[in-house]
Amino acid sequence: MASKKIPITRISKFFSSEDFQLEQNVGMEWLHGDMHFTLVLFRVDGKLSDVDDVYGESGPEEIRYKSPVEFNAYVKIEQPKLDSYAGGLVKDLEPGNMTLGVYIKHLNELDIDVNYGDYIGYAETEDKMRYYVVTNDGRVTSDNQHTIGGYKAFYRTIICSYVSPNEFKGV
Amino acid sequence: MALPKQVKKNLNITPNPVQGHYPSGYNGITTPNRRRELANLITDDGTYLPKSVLHADMDRGMLDFVEDKLKTVSNGKKVNVIDRILTLQRWAELSQTWKFSTSDKNVDLPFIVVVRNPEVQYGTNPALQYTIPDRKQFHYAKVPTWDGNRKGYDIYTIPQPVPVDIIYDVKIVCNRMRELNNFNRVVLQNFTSRQAYTFIKGHYIPIVMNSIGDESKIDTEERRYYQQNYQFQLQGFLLDEEEFEVKPAISRELVMFGFDEKERQKEGKGSPKNPDKVNTKLTFGVGVNELVLNYDYKVNISALRIKNVDSYSFYINNLPHTINEVLMINPGDVLVIEVVKNTSGVATLTLQEKLIY
Repeated sequence: MASKKIPITRISKFFSSEDFQLEQNVGMEWLHGDMHFTLVLFRVDGKLSDVDDVYGESGPEEIRYKSPVEFNAYVKIEQPKLDSYAGGLVKDLEPGNMTLGVYIKHLNELDIDVNYGDYIGYAETEDKMRYYVVTNDGRVTSDNQHTIGGYKAFYRTIICSYVSPNEFKGV
Repeated sequence: MALPKQVKKNLNITPNPVQGHYPSGYNGITTPNRRRELANLITDDGTYLPKSVLHADMDRGMLDFVEDKLKTVSNGKKVNVIDRILTLQRWAELSQTWKFSTSDKNVDLPFIVVVRNPEVQYGTNPALQYTIPDRKQFHYAKVPTWDGNRKGYDIYTIPQPVPVDIIYDVKIVCNRMRELNNFNRVVLQNFTSRQAYTFIKGHYIPIVMNSIGDESKIDTEERRYYQQNYQFQLQGFLLDEEEFEVKPAISRELVMFGFDEKERQKEGKGSPKNPDKVNTKLTFGVGVNELVLNYDYKVNISALRIKNVDSYSFYINNLPHTINEVLMINPGDVLVIEVVKNTSGVATLTLQEKLIY
């Protein structure tokens, strides 16, 4: 049974569903056509993965992924973080968090969803791919910033943190 | 006046023994039934050896304890328990909570979660602490074997288990005081005597309640919810089957010697041969001029030395014999020796006897 739909009529004096579609399409054309930041989404298949029955964990060879999907998003990567293990004795320099702005319509067209814990690959150079894990899937888009004039949300902000090759290095 | 029938005239003030089949107490020889039953639980569905009890087994035991013993009902519905120890792997969290999550994929309240403190300390259970050094192996079982030809035994030995203490925070997150009360009641009823037990691979492992804390979020402008933390200490032990040893006992012993025939021992270097000659010194005291000797074996005799003897005579079975060099005597013969002394003092005559085979 289809879920009940509620018509959105706010700011209807100045803005309509057609305007929303137009704004969204213009934005997508700019982001996907001009900017063209491309990323690869590796979605963990929780059903097929071989998980530990106490911790729910899997080793690198035990995790199963759905087919990787390329998608476009606006990418912002923070400065690298210099940290250390063992109280400053073992240096660790790694990329900062990656924040993605992705159109909800784009995800729907690709028929994918980005979930907490999924992995995302981003090609920094021709021969270097960095991998990140989703730490905030941005599923909640209730704030004004994610809407066009308060009409309806049109994008999600996804925050990812760097993962070491020990945890994930592509499939 | 007679006492009423209800009044007992004889009271047994000696309590009954705990184990009915040991009326005088445990005799230290046969295994009590209950102990045998517990041992069967440990080796159930497996080998003669106990199964490993490691960290994951104790975590599973704690989860089972929370699921079974701390089961809480709210409004006729069981409060959800996240049936995993949550770890750093992010997607695993979602895969364990999707059954009771909202459309935003947040966990629906109320729920109970078990959080294990990552560090595991050396145990405080006094029964296992620092009692035996150096991972010494102890006899656990003697198991009969049969290889088709020979019967034997295998000796199974295991070291003393390593005691560990694991701290768990069991948290209930809910919106209503009634749910808190229900959970609190269940916990306190289980821990009235401070500790409760979980059952892990045939072993009863004690769990001690440390503390109860409140971490509720009650802000004026934020979402409110209750969160209470019950801290438990599981006093377990590590029993690692990698440390078990199975050794064959002696089934039959065959001792073999090998000789190198090339290197024979040279003659003369061995132990001396048994002598076939014996010198017997006969003493004739003052006033004694005759001695009688009975023989049970065949010998040749001869006079070797004389002292204070002028002349001597030999009589075998009363027949006189003159001895020139050698005189043969048969078994059962009686030899009489007469001497004529030079003086009246002590005289000696030494006989040499050579055994004849």
